[in-house]
Amino acid sequence: MSAEFLYTIEVILNGLLTGVMYSLVALGFVLIFKASGIFNYSQGVMALFAALTLVGFQDGQVPFAELINAVLGTEIHGFGWEMPTILAILCALAVMLLFAILVERIILKHLVNQEPIILFMATIGLAYFLEGFGDLMWGSDIKALDLGLPQGGSFWIEDMTVSWAAEDSGFYGMYIDKLDLIAAGVAVALVVALTAFSQYTRIGRALRAVADDHQAALSVGISLRFIWVVTWAIAGFVALVAGSMWGAKSGVQFSLSLIALKALPVLMLGGFTSIPGAIVGGLIIGVGEKLFEFAIGPMVGGATENWFAYVLALIFLVFRPQGLFGDKIIERV
Amino acid sequence: MSIHAAEAASDDVAYASQEEAHGIEPRRIGGTVMEMKNITLRFGGVTAIKDISFDIKEHEIRAIIGPNGAGKSSMLNVINGFYHPQEGEIWFRGAKRGPMKPYEIAQQGIARTFQNIALFKGMTTLDNIMTGRMTMMKTNFWQQAMWWGSAQREEVEHRRRVEEIIDFLEIQAIRKTPVGRLPYGLQKRVELGRALAAEPKLLLLDEPMAGMNVEEKEDMCRFILDVNDEFGTTIALIEHDMGVVMDIADRVVVLDYGRKIGDGTPEEVRANQDVIDAYLGVSHD
Repeated sequence: MSAEFLYTIEVILNGLLTGVMYSLVALGFVLIFKASGIFNYSQGVMALFAALTLVGFQDGQVPFAELINAVLGTEIHGFGWEMPTILAILCALAVMLLFAILVERIILKHLVNQEPIILFMATIGLAYFLEGFGDLMWGSDIKALDLGLPQGGSFWIEDMTVSWAAEDSGFYGMYIDKLDLIAAGVAVALVVALTAFSQYTRIGRALRAVADDHQAALSVGISLRFIWVVTWAIAGFVALVAGSMWGAKSGVQFSLSLIALKALPVLMLGGFTSIPGAIVGGLIIGVGEKLFEFAIGPMVGGATENWFAYVLALIFLVFRPQGLFGDKIIERV
Repeated sequence: MSIHAAEAASDDVAYASQEEAHGIEPRRIGGTVMEMKNITLRFGGVTAIKDISFDIKEHEIRAIIGPNGAGKSSMLNVINGFYHPQEGEIWFRGAKRGPMKPYEIAQQGIARTFQNIALFKGMTTLDNIMTGRMTMMKTNFWQQAMWWGSAQREEVEHRRRVEEIIDFLEIQAIRKTPVGRLPYGLQKRVELGRALAAEPKLLLLDEPMAGMNVEEKEDMCRFILDVNDEFGTTIALIEHDMGVVMDIADRVVVLDYGRKIGDGTPEEVRANQDVIDAYLGVSHD
């Protein structure tokens, strides 16, 4: 096989793996949008907050340490122990559950039957609040998240693929990050679990019912408030998964919340209401931007990855506004 | 004893013995299930329901009729908790009902269908009817998330009951079809199935035959009568087709402009001058 061809394969593979990470973030948006028709602007910040909380518990940080020190004049920073990763994940999950309950109690409960735009504005407010709150609780410094997962290129794949090309072709094997592979595995497991939950359990069915018709859902005895807590808790769980995967890859820092912006074109491609859409959309964006950078990038001076996804999304908006898998919007006149 | 009464009594006996031969409990109209006392409902300055009282007895088919805008649907929405009346009391199964959310009322055993079908369009017939069992499933979130033994057993058991309802309504062929794709008449039937799945103490039907052709209407009539007969379900229904109402209802309450103008058996209501006036208009000379 020629080196050119193998390079292209490598680019596509890396694109797919990056795409999975985009899908992870987009998934959180889809879950909440389906169940309540709210576009949750704060999903990216939720991922950041979840990752911060995870690191905080792991490193044994004292929550609100800076605040406590400033008020009481003390000098505390950590508990002095390190929490096992599993326990830290469970604690972070509990925090996200608490977060879901508070969001319902403090915000959603008072906005029942409001216009979607008002709920959207509320989530913008929530995003800025949570951003500041996360900083206050865990500090604003960049943190490394070590989940104990293998990182770096896989030598096995490199060794295997190097033999495919001719001896002096200048191809030294494919570079595939092990963490990306694990993230892809986690994403697949997450989607399978979520699908099974929504298809085969009572609460999953209630989630789908609420997504479909609020009035009918009430009439069969489903409490909307309970379902909203469940939805936000699941979105929080997805945020934790996305946040910890991205955090392990590139550190837990403010820019983590901006991956939400990458989820937007994914959603426009896949449709706001479709879980498979979020997956396929993420993969298309991932592969598309990597291939574009590889093929066209050198001609236009590179850095196409920053805008390619949005241009693709714009094209989609013109020709297929409901996305690849979204519900077709038919307006009866 | 008059001759008529004796005749009626012997008819009853024949009816009962025939049903016992089929192994079915004879249908008897029992005590009061629901009582509405002096209900008044206003929307701003508009009074939709004015001081209306009536009751619904166990195992009966109670029809609510009246011209457009009479307040029939509002009445059903009051019973089911979508609307909260400003005045009046609602008694359900011997207890006065406080202000409750619609889903709490559903959990108490009141199921309903809607005038403009409110099904979960993206879900299959089977899933739609399964949502009707929602109030009867007991396992909690964590058991379900883990798909533990009890959650699994529960799912299987409820699925069996749902299959019985599907057989009863003769919709086996569309079990796995998303209901959004079904024709109108079948959607109405699925909606009835979803309400039945809750094994309601009181079943509310909002124009179950609206927009149907004669054949579909006959089918629906048969299902309503069968539900009432076989399961003994108490039914309150709104219907425009007077022929249908007179055929299937045990008692009828007639509303006009938010007031009650008649209440009684179909024969009594048909003979009521106010009802005739409301339906045919009055001459003003």
